[in-house]
Amino acid sequence: MATEVVMPKQGNTVESCIILEWKVQEGDTVKVGDVVCEAETDKSTIDVESTAEGTVLKLWYQAGDEVPVMQPILTVGEKGEKVEKPASVVEEATAPPTEQATEKKAEEVVTPVPSVVASGEHGVSPRAKGAAAAGGIDPTSLTPSGPKGRVIERDVIAAVDGRAPLSPVAKEALLAQGLEAPRQGSGIGGRVLSSDLVDSVQPLADVAFPGPVEETPVRSVRKITAQRMHASLATTAQFTMNAYADATALQSLRARFKASAPELGLQGITINDIILYAVAKTIVQFPYMNTHFLGDKMLTFTHVHLGSAVDTPKGLLVPVVKFADQRSLKGISDEFKRLATASIAGKAQPEDLSGGTFTVTNLGALGIDTFTPVLNVPEVAILGVGGISMRALEDADGDFVFIPHIGLSLTIDHQGVDGAPAAKFLKALCANIGAVDILLAL
Amino acid sequence: MDVFDLIIIGAGPGGYIAAERAGSLGKNVLLIERDQMGGVCTNLGCIPTKSLLNAAKLYRSAQESEKMGVTATSVDFNLTTAMKWKQETVETLRSGITFLMKNAKVTVVFGEAVCLDANHVQVGKTVYEGTDLIIATGSSPAVPPIPGHDLPHVVTSNEILSIEKLPTSLAIIGGGVIGVEFASFFASVGVKVSIIEMMDEILPMMDGEFAKLMRREMKPVEFRLGCKVTEITRDGVKYTDAKGAVQNQAADMVLLSVGRKPNLEALQALNLDTNRLGVVVDDQLRTNIPHVYAIGDVNGKSLLAHSASRMAEVVVANLYGENKQKMRYQAIPWAVYGIPEAAGCGLTESEAKKSGREIVTATTQMRANGRFLAEHGKRAAGLCKVVADAKTKAILGVHLLGPYSSEIIYGAAAIIEAELRIKDVKEIVFPHPSVSEIIRDTLFAIEGTL
Repeated sequence: MATEVVMPKQGNTVESCIILEWKVQEGDTVKVGDVVCEAETDKSTIDVESTAEGTVLKLWYQAGDEVPVMQPILTVGEKGEKVEKPASVVEEATAPPTEQATEKKAEEVVTPVPSVVASGEHGVSPRAKGAAAAGGIDPTSLTPSGPKGRVIERDVIAAVDGRAPLSPVAKEALLAQGLEAPRQGSGIGGRVLSSDLVDSVQPLADVAFPGPVEETPVRSVRKITAQRMHASLATTAQFTMNAYADATALQSLRARFKASAPELGLQGITINDIILYAVAKTIVQFPYMNTHFLGDKMLTFTHVHLGSAVDTPKGLLVPVVKFADQRSLKGISDEFKRLATASIAGKAQPEDLSGGTFTVTNLGALGIDTFTPVLNVPEVAILGVGGISMRALEDADGDFVFIPHIGLSLTIDHQGVDGAPAAKFLKALCANIGAVDILLAL
Repeated sequence: MDVFDLIIIGAGPGGYIAAERAGSLGKNVLLIERDQMGGVCTNLGCIPTKSLLNAAKLYRSAQESEKMGVTATSVDFNLTTAMKWKQETVETLRSGITFLMKNAKVTVVFGEAVCLDANHVQVGKTVYEGTDLIIATGSSPAVPPIPGHDLPHVVTSNEILSIEKLPTSLAIIGGGVIGVEFASFFASVGVKVSIIEMMDEILPMMDGEFAKLMRREMKPVEFRLGCKVTEITRDGVKYTDAKGAVQNQAADMVLLSVGRKPNLEALQALNLDTNRLGVVVDDQLRTNIPHVYAIGDVNGKSLLAHSASRMAEVVVANLYGENKQKMRYQAIPWAVYGIPEAAGCGLTESEAKKSGREIVTATTQMRANGRFLAEHGKRAAGLCKVVADAKTKAILGVHLLGPYSSEIIYGAAAIIEAELRIKDVKEIVFPHPSVSEIIRDTLFAIEGTL
């Protein structure tokens, strides 16, 4: 006959305990006195022992649940015996449950029972709360190690361990103001005083605010970048739109180049090279994107001279791949590699760094998803390339599939080009990148 | 040449404590003293004055205890016997310190020390080498260049401790602790005493209302406040009073107690940073020269024997201990062993306000205290004042005037060091009946409920 094992009563004041860890599984055999779970009261951590012998038929709670004392936590009986859900486990006993409903309900009780803990502090066990108050620690600031992400006593003990005692004033201030206490204070025997809490916000006790500062004159590349970036934002009407392109073809193409025969010289073609190629091939269909805005006139270029930002030890440089529209992918890749190497080595010539009609800037390798590129004036547009991440799409069967996508951010100068035409370009670019293997035919 | 772990110059309460602490840690310590073991504290300060003041207290008690049923007839004060008692006390303590040094295996050398550099000190013809050097050379009475300061009847706290005959009248220039203690002594044994003080109040570290009560209780001592001494003559002291009028205070002895100056003579070769107060040190008592420390009066931070001893411990702890320590000054108690006695620890009300805090405070009369009333009666003066932070309720200062103040005040030091709040101290049990209960009562005067 099935017997219920209850959460034992722990003195007169304990109303409930939190199950920290089950020591038995359903189906296990237990004897009287076997530890079935570890539980925490606001006073101590206890081992709950089985009061019955037999097979564990049902665990009524999950680790992390708070269970009122004297409430059945598991049922022990003969293997295969039918389990009757104890009435006390029912959350809302509106009507006597039918046999079938009981089965169903028994599955549902694994959701947490109504907690006696105040809302907002669900993640802190009562015992942890007590230890935190004694130790002058905000328990919600700790990394929880208890079940269900709950902060339990050992988390607080670990945080307090090794720290010098706090003065009463320091303790109160610590709890009230959320400051940090140093391991050692300036009081008797290293006691932490309230004044130490203020000190603790300084990075180093012996360094006066703000610590060492290095002065760097603004010159050369930094100075030019500063002027150009400021001029860009001051003189244009910038507007950024974001989109994602299917990167499946892009990634597989890149993988195939990487694995290709060395004598073809295609192994070094990067994602960025492929994007540059796609931009060059797409933009010729959208000449208004390949334009300089000069205030009283606009210059629309037939050929695409494609700038691509390079992070060099001296700062940001934008070498330009001339006549990119007429180059093969390998041609773009080789030329950009040459320019980038020269730029990084500080050997790029002024003509390498000027004459662009459109610019691509790529932060994808640095884990950036999308961003707002700043126009390289007087160009009317700049494309920011982000990283590749998975996006969930609904397929033809109505199932969700995860497809790699690359983030694209297009900033335009609204003075020279409008949103809708720019969006059309971005849409076409996304399509072309999605089918970049086909685009190679161009 | 001998090589020591630590050389200490000066065997006062800074130097000998440093020597004892380091010696008992097994360090090879050299202690150099130019005069007597124990320094000013033992020989010319704390101890001899306490001895004389207690004699004066007994003398007064004998005269004043008739109302309590004790009639003493033909009560006399004999200076020679009092001085003998004082001398015996000093010598006993001095030999006690000598014994302590022997116990801690400290090498003691008597003679004038001259620092050659941070690691070498010469005494006579011998040069000693040490890894670390503690300067604990102390201070001496300052003698301002007032015309007449070198007249034979003008003394400092040094000479006045070995006078053979009581003067008829004594003018004390300077109303600090030293001046007030000597005034209490001499006035109690029948000398006509006046104190001439340049500031508007005596005892600058004391809360204003306490200083005022102190003056009242020190009657018949005459106080000349806000007065600037211009000349000392054979029969008195000329001064300009607060209103600018030239006055003369007749006296057949003049005590100069206008402050103390650091003893820097032995340190010339070290090129130490010094300021108006003495050798400049950081909160670990380090000077600008590596391995050279300055503790006690010579650094001018806190001219008290117990401050010097604590500084010694901080240095020794940082040199040889596991936990680095810093010298804290916020809870150093002071005491004036006058008649009446006074003591304080932490901030006064005006200091606390000046620091920008909002404060709560209460002052209570000691006559409400059982033991005080039983022993001194309802007319005697006694006060306790507690200053606390209005927001945190942390106790910032405790000030006492009345018997046993100097014995009680360490409790305040513990309270302030531990940063206890009013409600924390309320949970501490004080013995009853004792004058110390006045502190607890004053806390309830600030916050009446539990």
